Amino acid sequence: MTGLLDLYSEKGSFLHRMDPRVKLIAVLLLSVLAFILAQLLHLLLLLGFILLLLVLSRSSYAKAFFALKFVLRFMVLIIVLWPLFDRSGTPVLFTVGPLDITEPAVWRGVTSAVRVGCFATVWYVLMFTTQQRDLVRALVKMGLRFDYGLALSISFRFIPTFGLTIESIKDAQRARGLELDKGSFVRRSKNYVSVLVPAIVTALRTADTLALTLQSRAYGAVSRRTYLKEIRMRPSDYVALAVVSLLLLVPALAKYVCGMSI
Amino acid sequence: MIPRPEHDGKDQALFLRYVKFTYESGVNALKGVTLEIDRGEYIAVVGGNGSGKTTLAKHLNGLLRPTSGQVFVSGADSSTMTSAEMSRAVGYAFQNPDHQLFCGTVQEEVSFGPGNLGLPAEEVRRRTDRAMDIMGLSDLRDRPPLTLSLGLRRRVSIASVIAMEPPVLVFDEPTTGMDAREADELMAIIRKLNGEGRTIVLITHEMKLVAEHANRVVIMADGRIVLDSRTREAFSDTELLRRSNLLPPPVTQLAHKLSQIGVSKDILTPQELVFELTRGDET
Repeated sequence: MTGLLDLYSEKGSFLHRMDPRVKLIAVLLLSVLAFILAQLLHLLLLLGFILLLLVLSRSSYAKAFFALKFVLRFMVLIIVLWPLFDRSGTPVLFTVGPLDITEPAVWRGVTSAVRVGCFATVWYVLMFTTQQRDLVRALVKMGLRFDYGLALSISFRFIPTFGLTIESIKDAQRARGLELDKGSFVRRSKNYVSVLVPAIVTALRTADTLALTLQSRAYGAVSRRTYLKEIRMRPSDYVALAVVSLLLLVPALAKYVCGMSI
Repeated sequence: MIPRPEHDGKDQALFLRYVKFTYESGVNALKGVTLEIDRGEYIAVVGGNGSGKTTLAKHLNGLLRPTSGQVFVSGADSSTMTSAEMSRAVGYAFQNPDHQLFCGTVQEEVSFGPGNLGLPAEEVRRRTDRAMDIMGLSDLRDRPPLTLSLGLRRRVSIASVIAMEPPVLVFDEPTTGMDAREADELMAIIRKLNGEGRTIVLITHEMKLVAEHANRVVIMADGRIVLDSRTREAFSDTELLRRSNLLPPPVTQLAHKLSQIGVSKDILTPQELVFELTRGDET
Protein backbone atom coordinates (compact mmCIF):
# COMPACT_ATOMS: atom_id res chain seq x y z
CA MET A 1 0.00 0.00 0.00
CA THR A 2 2.57 2.53 1.12
CA GLY A 3 4.90 1.38 -1.65
CA LEU A 4 2.64 2.88 -4.28
CA LEU A 5 1.61 6.00 -2.41
CA ASP A 6 5.13 7.05 -1.58
CA LEU A 7 6.97 7.01 -4.87
CA TYR A 8 10.33 7.98 -3.37
CA SER A 9 13.07 5.39 -3.16
CA GLU A 10 16.41 5.84 -1.49
CA LYS A 11 19.11 5.82 -4.19
CA GLY A 12 22.32 7.77 -4.51
CA SER A 13 21.87 9.48 -7.88
CA PHE A 14 22.84 13.11 -8.56
CA LEU A 15 19.13 13.85 -8.83
CA HIS A 16 18.68 12.66 -5.25
CA ARG A 17 21.43 14.97 -4.05
CA MET A 18 20.16 18.02 -5.92
CA ASP A 19 18.64 20.88 -3.93
CA PRO A 20 14.87 20.20 -3.83
CA ARG A 21 14.20 23.86 -4.77
CA VAL A 22 16.19 23.45 -7.97
CA LYS A 23 14.37 20.21 -8.74
CA LEU A 24 11.00 21.84 -8.19
CA ILE A 25 11.89 24.81 -10.43
CA ALA A 26 13.41 22.51 -13.06
CA VAL A 27 10.26 20.42 -13.21
CA LEU A 28 8.11 23.53 -13.55
CA LEU A 29 10.33 24.93 -16.34
CA LEU A 30 10.39 21.61 -18.22
CA SER A 31 6.60 21.39 -17.91
CA VAL A 32 6.29 24.87 -19.43
CA LEU A 33 8.71 23.83 -22.17
CA ALA A 34 6.48 20.87 -23.04
CA PHE A 35 3.67 23.33 -23.70
CA ILE A 36 5.82 25.78 -25.71
CA LEU A 37 7.20 23.17 -28.08
CA ALA A 38 4.85 22.49 -30.97
CA GLN A 39 6.74 20.19 -33.29
CA LEU A 40 6.62 16.47 -32.72
CA LEU A 41 10.36 15.98 -33.25
CA HIS A 42 11.23 18.56 -30.57
CA LEU A 43 8.74 17.06 -28.16
CA LEU A 44 10.21 13.62 -28.77
CA LEU A 45 13.67 15.05 -27.99
CA LEU A 46 12.30 16.47 -24.74
CA LEU A 47 10.66 13.15 -23.86
CA GLY A 48 13.98 11.44 -24.59
CA PHE A 49 15.76 13.88 -22.25
CA ILE A 50 13.21 13.26 -19.48
CA LEU A 51 13.46 9.48 -19.90
CA LEU A 52 17.24 9.86 -19.70
CA LEU A 53 16.75 11.65 -16.37
CA LEU A 54 14.52 8.77 -15.27
CA VAL A 55 17.28 6.28 -16.11
CA LEU A 56 19.88 8.44 -14.36
CA SER A 57 17.68 8.61 -11.25
CA ARG A 58 18.34 4.85 -10.88
CA SER A 59 14.69 4.21 -10.10
CA SER A 60 13.79 0.55 -9.79
CA TYR A 61 12.24 -0.95 -12.92
CA ALA A 62 9.15 -1.95 -10.96
CA LYS A 63 8.44 1.62 -9.90
CA ALA A 64 9.30 3.17 -13.25
CA PHE A 65 7.13 0.61 -15.00
CA PHE A 66 4.27 1.22 -12.58
CA ALA A 67 4.43 4.97 -13.23
CA LEU A 68 4.90 4.76 -17.00
CA LYS A 69 2.04 2.31 -17.34
CA PHE A 70 -0.35 5.08 -16.31
CA VAL A 71 1.31 7.62 -18.58
CA LEU A 72 1.28 5.21 -21.54
CA ARG A 73 -2.38 4.33 -21.11
CA PHE A 74 -3.22 8.01 -21.10
CA MET A 75 -1.12 8.65 -24.21
CA VAL A 76 -2.79 5.81 -26.13
CA LEU A 77 -6.18 7.20 -25.13
CA ILE A 78 -5.26 10.62 -26.52
CA ILE A 79 -3.92 9.19 -29.79
CA VAL A 80 -7.10 7.16 -30.30
CA LEU A 81 -9.59 9.85 -29.31
CA TRP A 82 -8.00 12.95 -30.86
CA PRO A 83 -8.79 12.24 -34.54
CA LEU A 84 -12.37 11.36 -33.61
CA PHE A 85 -13.03 14.89 -32.38
CA ASP A 86 -10.66 16.88 -34.61
CA ARG A 87 -11.79 16.38 -38.19
CA SER A 88 -10.03 19.32 -39.87
CA GLY A 89 -7.46 19.10 -42.65
CA THR A 90 -6.76 16.83 -45.58
CA PRO A 91 -6.08 14.20 -46.78
CA VAL A 92 -8.77 12.02 -45.28
CA LEU A 93 -7.14 8.73 -44.41
CA PHE A 94 -10.32 6.70 -44.02
CA THR A 95 -13.93 7.09 -43.00
CA VAL A 96 -15.58 5.29 -40.10
CA GLY A 97 -19.32 5.78 -40.40
CA PRO A 98 -19.93 9.52 -40.17
CA LEU A 99 -16.34 10.19 -39.02
CA ASP A 100 -13.52 11.32 -41.30
CA ILE A 101 -10.09 10.46 -39.93
CA THR A 102 -7.63 12.97 -41.40
CA GLU A 103 -3.84 12.72 -41.47
CA PRO A 104 -3.08 16.08 -39.75
CA ALA A 105 -5.48 15.19 -36.95
CA VAL A 106 -3.66 11.91 -36.32
CA TRP A 107 -0.35 13.79 -36.08
CA ARG A 108 -1.86 16.40 -33.78
CA GLY A 109 -3.09 13.56 -31.57
CA VAL A 110 0.37 11.99 -31.42
CA THR A 111 1.94 15.40 -30.66
CA SER A 112 -0.47 16.05 -27.80
CA ALA A 113 0.10 12.57 -26.44
CA VAL A 114 3.89 13.07 -26.38
CA ARG A 115 3.38 16.48 -24.74
CA VAL A 116 1.27 14.95 -21.97
CA GLY A 117 3.84 12.16 -21.70
CA CYS A 118 6.63 14.72 -21.11
CA PHE A 119 4.53 16.61 -18.61
CA ALA A 120 3.58 13.54 -16.54
CA THR A 121 6.93 11.76 -16.64
CA VAL A 122 8.96 14.75 -15.46
CA TRP A 123 6.79 14.98 -12.32
CA TYR A 124 7.32 11.29 -11.72
CA VAL A 125 11.09 11.87 -11.86
CA LEU A 126 10.66 14.53 -9.16
CA MET A 127 8.58 12.25 -6.94
CA PHE A 128 10.98 9.32 -7.44
CA THR A 129 14.01 11.30 -6.32
CA THR A 130 12.66 13.68 -3.68
CA GLN A 131 11.32 12.85 -0.25
CA GLN A 132 7.98 14.43 0.51
CA ARG A 133 9.37 16.25 3.51
CA ASP A 134 12.22 17.67 1.38
CA LEU A 135 9.62 19.01 -1.04
CA VAL A 136 7.80 20.64 1.85
CA ARG A 137 11.12 21.96 3.18
CA ALA A 138 11.84 23.49 -0.23
CA LEU A 139 8.42 25.15 -0.32
CA VAL A 140 8.90 26.57 3.20
CA LYS A 141 12.36 27.82 2.24
CA MET A 142 10.83 29.48 -0.81
CA GLY A 143 8.45 31.42 1.39
CA LEU A 144 5.55 29.13 2.27
CA ARG A 145 4.40 29.66 5.86
CA PHE A 146 5.74 26.89 8.08
CA ASP A 147 2.22 26.11 9.38
CA TYR A 148 1.02 25.32 5.89
CA GLY A 149 4.17 23.35 5.17
CA LEU A 150 3.60 21.28 8.30
CA ALA A 151 -0.06 20.74 7.42
CA LEU A 152 1.04 19.57 3.98
CA SER A 153 3.60 17.09 5.28
CA ILE A 154 1.15 15.76 7.87
CA SER A 155 -1.39 15.15 5.11
CA PHE A 156 1.19 13.26 3.04
CA ARG A 157 2.22 11.30 6.10
CA PHE A 158 -1.32 10.21 6.96
CA ILE A 159 -2.51 9.13 3.51
CA PRO A 160 -1.24 5.54 3.87
CA THR A 161 -2.26 5.36 7.55
CA PHE A 162 -5.75 6.45 6.67
CA GLY A 163 -5.92 3.94 3.83
CA LEU A 164 -5.18 1.14 6.30
CA THR A 165 -7.78 2.47 8.73
CA ILE A 166 -10.46 2.38 6.04
CA GLU A 167 -9.53 -1.19 5.13
CA SER A 168 -9.75 -2.17 8.79
CA ILE A 169 -13.17 -0.50 9.14
CA LYS A 170 -14.46 -2.30 6.05
CA ASP A 171 -13.26 -5.60 7.52
CA ALA A 172 -14.90 -4.84 10.85
CA GLN A 173 -18.26 -4.15 9.20
CA ARG A 174 -17.97 -7.18 6.93
CA ALA A 175 -17.42 -9.26 10.05
CA ARG A 176 -20.82 -7.96 11.20
CA GLY A 177 -22.44 -9.43 8.12
CA LEU A 178 -22.47 -6.29 5.99
CA GLU A 179 -22.19 -6.82 2.24
CA LEU A 180 -20.71 -3.57 1.03
CA ASP A 181 -20.99 -4.08 -2.71
CA LYS A 182 -24.36 -5.74 -2.92
CA GLY A 183 -27.71 -4.28 -3.82
CA SER A 184 -28.89 -1.15 -5.58
CA PHE A 185 -26.97 2.12 -5.74
CA VAL A 186 -29.02 3.57 -2.84
CA ARG A 187 -28.50 0.39 -0.80
CA ARG A 188 -24.73 0.49 -1.40
CA SER A 189 -24.49 4.20 -0.55
CA LYS A 190 -26.32 3.50 2.68
CA ASN A 191 -23.93 0.64 3.42
CA TYR A 192 -21.00 3.01 3.11
CA VAL A 193 -22.35 5.19 5.94
CA SER A 194 -21.17 2.43 8.26
CA VAL A 195 -17.65 2.92 6.87
CA LEU A 196 -17.68 6.71 6.61
CA VAL A 197 -18.81 7.47 10.16
CA PRO A 198 -16.08 5.43 11.88
CA ALA A 199 -13.54 6.80 9.37
CA ILE A 200 -14.43 10.40 10.21
CA VAL A 201 -14.52 9.69 13.94
CA THR A 202 -11.10 8.01 13.78
CA ALA A 203 -9.70 10.91 11.76
CA LEU A 204 -10.99 13.43 14.29
CA ARG A 205 -9.58 11.45 17.21
CA THR A 206 -6.22 11.22 15.41
CA ALA A 207 -6.24 14.97 14.72
CA ASP A 208 -7.01 15.66 18.36
CA THR A 209 -4.13 13.49 19.56
CA LEU A 210 -1.84 15.05 16.97
CA ALA A 211 -2.68 18.56 18.18
CA LEU A 212 -1.85 17.55 21.76
CA THR A 213 1.41 15.99 20.61
CA LEU A 214 2.40 19.16 18.77
CA GLN A 215 1.58 21.31 21.78
CA SER A 216 3.49 19.06 24.15
CA ARG A 217 6.52 19.56 21.90
CA ALA A 218 6.24 23.32 22.19
CA TYR A 219 4.98 23.87 18.67
CA GLY A 220 4.68 27.60 18.00
CA ALA A 221 6.48 28.61 21.21
CA VAL A 222 8.91 30.84 19.33
CA SER A 223 7.94 32.70 16.18
CA ARG A 224 11.32 32.28 14.44
CA ARG A 225 12.08 28.62 14.38
CA THR A 226 15.37 26.99 13.52
CA TYR A 227 15.84 23.87 11.42
CA LEU A 228 17.89 20.76 12.04
CA LYS A 229 18.48 20.27 8.33
CA GLU A 230 19.22 23.43 6.33
CA ILE A 231 19.06 23.16 2.56
CA ARG A 232 21.86 25.00 0.79
CA MET A 233 22.60 25.56 -2.88
CA ARG A 234 25.85 23.94 -3.99
CA PRO A 235 27.77 24.88 -7.17
CA SER A 236 26.34 21.86 -9.00
CA ASP A 237 22.84 23.09 -8.12
CA TYR A 238 23.56 26.45 -9.78
CA VAL A 239 24.82 24.63 -12.87
CA ALA A 240 21.68 22.49 -13.01
CA LEU A 241 19.50 25.56 -12.59
CA ALA A 242 21.37 27.36 -15.39
CA VAL A 243 21.10 24.38 -17.76
CA VAL A 244 17.37 23.98 -17.22
CA SER A 245 16.78 27.74 -17.55
CA LEU A 246 18.59 27.76 -20.88
CA LEU A 247 16.64 24.72 -22.00
CA LEU A 248 13.48 26.74 -21.60
CA LEU A 249 14.84 30.18 -22.51
CA VAL A 250 16.35 29.31 -25.92
CA PRO A 251 13.20 27.74 -27.43
CA ALA A 252 11.03 30.42 -25.79
CA LEU A 253 13.11 33.24 -27.33
CA ALA A 254 13.17 31.48 -30.68
CA LYS A 255 9.41 31.16 -30.66
CA TYR A 256 8.23 34.45 -29.17
CA VAL A 257 11.05 36.87 -30.17
CA CYS A 258 12.32 35.49 -33.46
CA GLY A 259 8.94 34.10 -34.44
CA MET A 260 10.35 30.70 -35.37
CA SER A 261 8.04 27.72 -35.51
CA ILE A 262 9.44 25.15 -33.10
CA MET B 1 -0.38 -31.70 13.60
CA ILE B 2 -0.94 -34.05 10.64
CA PRO B 3 -4.52 -33.67 9.38
CA ARG B 4 -6.64 -36.75 9.51
CA PRO B 5 -8.21 -37.21 6.07
CA GLU B 6 -10.82 -39.64 7.40
CA HIS B 7 -12.04 -37.02 9.88
CA ASP B 8 -15.74 -36.42 9.31
CA GLY B 9 -15.53 -32.86 10.68
CA LYS B 10 -18.62 -33.25 12.86
CA ASP B 11 -17.17 -31.91 16.08
CA GLN B 12 -14.82 -29.51 14.32
CA ALA B 13 -15.62 -25.85 14.59
CA LEU B 14 -12.79 -24.87 12.28
CA PHE B 15 -10.21 -26.71 10.25
CA LEU B 16 -7.40 -25.00 8.36
CA ARG B 17 -5.57 -27.25 5.95
CA TYR B 18 -2.10 -26.29 4.66
CA VAL B 19 -3.15 -22.63 4.55
CA LYS B 20 -0.66 -20.30 2.89
CA PHE B 21 -1.21 -16.60 2.46
CA THR B 22 0.80 -13.96 0.64
CA TYR B 23 -0.12 -10.28 0.83
CA GLU B 24 -0.16 -8.17 -2.34
CA SER B 25 3.04 -6.54 -1.14
CA GLY B 26 4.72 -9.94 -1.42
CA VAL B 27 4.94 -10.68 2.32
CA ASN B 28 4.45 -14.39 3.05
CA ALA B 29 2.37 -14.03 6.19
CA LEU B 30 1.33 -17.69 6.46
CA LYS B 31 3.66 -20.42 5.27
CA GLY B 32 1.51 -23.52 5.49
CA VAL B 33 -0.65 -23.62 8.60
CA THR B 34 -2.73 -26.61 9.60
CA LEU B 35 -4.98 -26.15 12.59
CA GLU B 36 -7.99 -27.99 13.93
CA ILE B 37 -10.26 -26.34 16.46
CA ASP B 38 -12.95 -28.46 18.08
CA ARG B 39 -16.30 -27.23 19.20
CA GLY B 40 -16.31 -25.63 22.65
CA GLU B 41 -12.55 -25.16 22.85
CA TYR B 42 -10.95 -22.09 24.42
CA ILE B 43 -7.83 -21.59 22.38
CA ALA B 44 -5.27 -18.80 22.51
CA VAL B 45 -3.19 -17.80 19.49
CA VAL B 46 -0.02 -16.05 20.59
CA GLY B 47 3.08 -14.74 18.88
CA GLY B 48 5.11 -11.59 18.41
CA ASN B 49 4.25 -8.77 16.03
CA GLY B 50 4.44 -9.98 12.44
CA SER B 51 4.19 -13.63 13.44
CA GLY B 52 1.03 -14.05 11.35
CA LYS B 53 -1.50 -14.41 14.16
CA THR B 54 -3.86 -11.69 12.95
CA THR B 55 -3.56 -12.92 9.36
CA LEU B 56 -4.49 -16.37 10.62
CA ALA B 57 -7.46 -14.98 12.55
CA LYS B 58 -8.75 -13.15 9.48
CA HIS B 59 -8.88 -16.46 7.63
CA LEU B 60 -11.25 -17.87 10.25
CA ASN B 61 -14.15 -15.67 9.13
CA GLY B 62 -13.25 -15.15 5.49
CA LEU B 63 -11.91 -11.59 5.65
CA LEU B 64 -8.83 -13.04 3.99
CA ARG B 65 -8.88 -16.01 1.64
CA PRO B 66 -5.97 -18.46 1.53
CA THR B 67 -3.56 -18.14 -1.40
CA SER B 68 -3.46 -21.93 -1.22
CA GLY B 69 -4.97 -24.45 1.17
CA GLN B 70 -8.49 -24.68 2.56
CA VAL B 71 -10.55 -23.43 5.47
CA PHE B 72 -13.44 -25.59 6.68
CA VAL B 73 -16.17 -24.13 8.88
CA SER B 74 -18.19 -26.80 10.71
CA GLY B 75 -16.88 -29.33 8.21
CA ALA B 76 -17.91 -27.29 5.13
CA ASP B 77 -15.39 -25.88 2.66
CA SER B 78 -15.57 -22.11 3.01
CA SER B 79 -14.15 -21.25 -0.41
CA THR B 80 -17.63 -20.80 -1.85
CA MET B 81 -19.04 -18.87 1.14
CA THR B 82 -19.18 -15.07 1.25
CA SER B 83 -17.82 -13.14 4.25
CA ALA B 84 -21.41 -12.43 5.24
CA GLU B 85 -22.23 -16.15 5.26
CA MET B 86 -19.12 -16.91 7.28
CA SER B 87 -19.99 -14.17 9.77
CA ARG B 88 -22.96 -16.31 10.85
CA ALA B 89 -20.57 -19.03 11.92
CA VAL B 90 -17.58 -17.05 13.13
CA GLY B 91 -17.83 -13.71 14.95
CA TYR B 92 -14.79 -11.45 15.01
CA ALA B 93 -14.39 -8.71 17.62
CA PHE B 94 -11.87 -6.18 16.34
CA GLN B 95 -9.26 -4.60 18.52
CA ASN B 96 -10.28 -0.98 17.92
CA PRO B 97 -13.99 -0.36 18.66
CA ASP B 98 -13.79 3.00 16.86
CA HIS B 99 -13.40 1.08 13.62
CA GLN B 100 -16.94 -0.19 13.80
CA LEU B 101 -19.19 2.04 15.91
CA PHE B 102 -21.36 4.34 13.80
CA CYS B 103 -24.93 4.27 15.11
CA GLY B 104 -26.84 6.84 17.16
CA THR B 105 -27.59 4.56 20.10
CA VAL B 106 -26.07 1.49 21.72
CA GLN B 107 -29.19 -0.51 20.89
CA GLU B 108 -29.05 0.32 17.18
CA GLU B 109 -25.35 -0.51 17.13
CA VAL B 110 -25.85 -3.93 18.72
CA SER B 111 -28.77 -4.76 16.42
CA PHE B 112 -26.80 -3.92 13.23
CA GLY B 113 -25.18 -7.38 12.97
CA PRO B 114 -28.30 -9.52 13.53
CA GLY B 115 -30.19 -7.13 11.24
CA ASN B 116 -27.72 -7.91 8.45
CA LEU B 117 -28.43 -11.62 8.88
CA GLY B 118 -31.97 -11.04 7.64
CA LEU B 119 -33.63 -12.35 10.80
CA PRO B 120 -37.23 -11.45 11.74
CA ALA B 121 -37.54 -8.24 13.79
CA GLU B 122 -38.65 -10.16 16.89
CA GLU B 123 -35.51 -12.34 16.77
CA VAL B 124 -33.24 -9.33 16.17
CA ARG B 125 -34.74 -7.68 19.24
CA ARG B 126 -34.33 -10.79 21.38
CA ARG B 127 -30.66 -11.21 20.38
CA THR B 128 -29.92 -7.51 20.87
CA ASP B 129 -31.44 -7.51 24.36
CA ARG B 130 -29.55 -10.67 25.28
CA ALA B 131 -26.20 -9.38 24.01
CA MET B 132 -26.63 -6.06 25.84
CA ASP B 133 -27.58 -8.01 28.96
CA ILE B 134 -24.48 -10.24 28.73
CA MET B 135 -22.20 -7.21 28.26
CA GLY B 136 -23.91 -5.21 31.01
CA LEU B 137 -25.08 -2.48 28.62
CA SER B 138 -28.84 -2.61 29.22
CA ASP B 139 -28.85 0.69 31.12
CA LEU B 140 -26.93 2.41 28.34
CA ARG B 141 -29.16 1.29 25.46
CA ASP B 142 -30.16 4.82 24.45
CA ARG B 143 -26.74 6.42 24.83
CA PRO B 144 -24.68 7.29 21.73
CA PRO B 145 -21.89 4.66 21.72
CA LEU B 146 -19.20 7.07 20.50
CA THR B 147 -19.46 9.19 23.68
CA LEU B 148 -18.76 6.24 25.99
CA SER B 149 -15.37 5.46 27.57
CA LEU B 150 -12.95 3.16 25.72
CA GLY B 151 -13.79 0.21 27.97
CA LEU B 152 -17.52 0.65 27.34
CA ARG B 153 -17.01 1.27 23.61
CA ARG B 154 -15.21 -2.04 23.38
CA ARG B 155 -18.05 -3.73 25.24
CA VAL B 156 -20.53 -2.30 22.73
CA SER B 157 -18.43 -3.57 19.83
CA ILE B 158 -18.21 -7.03 21.41
CA ALA B 159 -21.96 -7.02 22.14
CA SER B 160 -22.57 -6.24 18.46
CA VAL B 161 -20.67 -9.39 17.52
CA ILE B 162 -22.21 -11.58 20.25
CA ALA B 163 -25.67 -10.49 19.10
CA MET B 164 -25.10 -12.39 15.85
CA GLU B 165 -24.84 -15.52 18.06
CA PRO B 166 -22.10 -17.25 16.07
CA PRO B 167 -20.89 -20.60 17.44
CA VAL B 168 -17.27 -19.39 17.19
CA LEU B 169 -16.00 -16.07 18.57
CA VAL B 170 -12.61 -14.58 17.72
CA PHE B 171 -11.29 -11.87 20.05
CA ASP B 172 -8.36 -9.79 18.80
CA GLU B 173 -6.44 -8.32 21.76
CA PRO B 174 -9.69 -7.70 23.66
CA THR B 175 -8.17 -6.13 26.78
CA THR B 176 -5.78 -3.59 25.22
CA GLY B 177 -6.16 -0.20 26.88
CA MET B 178 -8.46 -1.50 29.61
CA ASP B 179 -7.79 -1.17 33.31
CA ALA B 180 -7.45 -4.32 35.41
CA ARG B 181 -11.05 -4.35 36.60
CA GLU B 182 -12.51 -3.84 33.11
CA ALA B 183 -10.21 -6.53 31.73
CA ASP B 184 -11.18 -9.01 34.46
CA GLU B 185 -14.87 -8.37 33.85
CA LEU B 186 -14.48 -8.86 30.12
CA MET B 187 -12.49 -12.06 30.53
CA ALA B 188 -15.17 -13.40 32.89
CA ILE B 189 -17.80 -12.71 30.22
CA ILE B 190 -15.74 -14.48 27.57
CA ARG B 191 -15.36 -17.45 29.90
CA LYS B 192 -19.13 -17.49 30.39
CA LEU B 193 -19.66 -17.50 26.62
CA ASN B 194 -17.28 -20.47 26.45
CA GLY B 195 -19.31 -22.14 29.21
CA GLU B 196 -22.40 -21.83 26.97
CA GLY B 197 -20.60 -24.03 24.47
CA ARG B 198 -19.20 -21.34 22.18
CA THR B 199 -15.74 -21.86 20.76
CA ILE B 200 -13.38 -19.05 21.76
CA VAL B 201 -10.28 -18.02 19.82
CA LEU B 202 -8.28 -15.46 21.76
CA ILE B 203 -5.54 -13.56 19.94
CA THR B 204 -3.20 -11.90 22.37
CA HIS B 205 0.33 -11.46 23.50
CA GLU B 206 -0.61 -11.11 27.13
CA MET B 207 0.58 -14.38 28.60
CA LYS B 208 -1.30 -13.86 31.85
CA LEU B 209 -4.60 -14.04 29.96
CA VAL B 210 -3.46 -17.17 28.18
CA ALA B 211 -2.36 -18.85 31.40
CA GLU B 212 -5.54 -18.05 33.27
CA HIS B 213 -8.12 -18.70 30.58
CA ALA B 214 -7.11 -20.75 27.57
CA ASN B 215 -7.08 -24.54 27.63
CA ARG B 216 -4.95 -24.77 24.53
CA VAL B 217 -2.31 -22.48 23.13
CA VAL B 218 -1.01 -22.10 19.59
CA ILE B 219 2.29 -20.25 19.31
CA MET B 220 3.07 -18.64 15.98
CA ALA B 221 6.38 -17.39 14.68
CA ASP B 222 7.31 -16.29 11.18
CA GLY B 223 4.08 -17.48 9.57
CA ARG B 224 4.17 -20.96 11.06
CA ILE B 225 2.74 -22.72 14.08
CA VAL B 226 5.73 -23.58 16.25
CA LEU B 227 3.81 -25.08 19.13
CA ASP B 228 0.27 -26.36 19.57
CA SER B 229 -0.41 -27.92 22.95
CA ARG B 230 -2.26 -27.78 26.25
CA THR B 231 -1.49 -24.46 27.97
CA ARG B 232 0.13 -26.17 30.93
CA GLU B 233 2.63 -28.03 28.76
CA ALA B 234 3.39 -24.97 26.64
CA PHE B 235 4.54 -22.91 29.58
CA SER B 236 6.97 -25.52 30.82
CA ASP B 237 9.02 -25.22 27.61
CA THR B 238 10.81 -21.97 28.44
CA GLU B 239 13.38 -22.43 25.68
CA LEU B 240 10.71 -22.48 22.97
CA LEU B 241 8.90 -19.52 24.54
CA ARG B 242 12.12 -17.54 24.57
CA ARG B 243 12.77 -18.27 20.90
CA SER B 244 9.26 -17.01 20.09
CA ASN B 245 9.90 -13.76 22.00
CA LEU B 246 7.38 -14.74 24.66
CA LEU B 247 7.69 -14.80 28.41
CA PRO B 248 5.53 -17.01 30.62
CA PRO B 249 3.52 -15.10 33.24
CA PRO B 250 5.55 -14.02 36.31
CA VAL B 251 4.06 -16.67 38.56
CA THR B 252 5.17 -19.41 36.15
CA GLN B 253 8.64 -17.88 35.96
CA LEU B 254 8.76 -17.94 39.76
CA ALA B 255 7.67 -21.56 39.76
CA HIS B 256 10.52 -22.38 37.35
CA LYS B 257 13.00 -20.69 39.71
CA LEU B 258 11.55 -22.64 42.64
CA SER B 259 11.67 -25.96 40.81
CA GLN B 260 14.88 -26.94 42.67
CA ILE B 261 12.91 -27.11 45.90
CA GLY B 262 10.36 -29.34 44.25
CA VAL B 263 7.77 -26.88 42.93
CA SER B 264 6.10 -28.10 39.75
CA LYS B 265 7.06 -26.17 36.59
CA ASP B 266 3.56 -26.06 35.15
CA ILE B 267 2.05 -23.53 37.56
CA LEU B 268 -0.26 -21.11 35.77
CA THR B 269 -1.93 -18.99 38.46
CA PRO B 270 -0.92 -17.55 41.85
CA GLN B 271 -3.59 -19.73 43.51
CA GLU B 272 -1.96 -22.84 42.11
CA LEU B 273 1.44 -21.74 43.40
CA VAL B 274 0.06 -21.09 46.88
CA PHE B 275 -1.60 -24.48 46.82
CA GLU B 276 1.61 -26.14 45.61
CA LEU B 277 3.71 -24.42 48.30
CA THR B 278 1.36 -25.17 51.19
CA ARG B 279 1.01 -28.77 50.04
CA GLY B 280 4.79 -28.95 49.94
CA ASP B 281 4.89 -27.86 53.60
CA GLU B 282 2.63 -30.66 54.68
CA THR B 283 4.70 -33.44 53.13
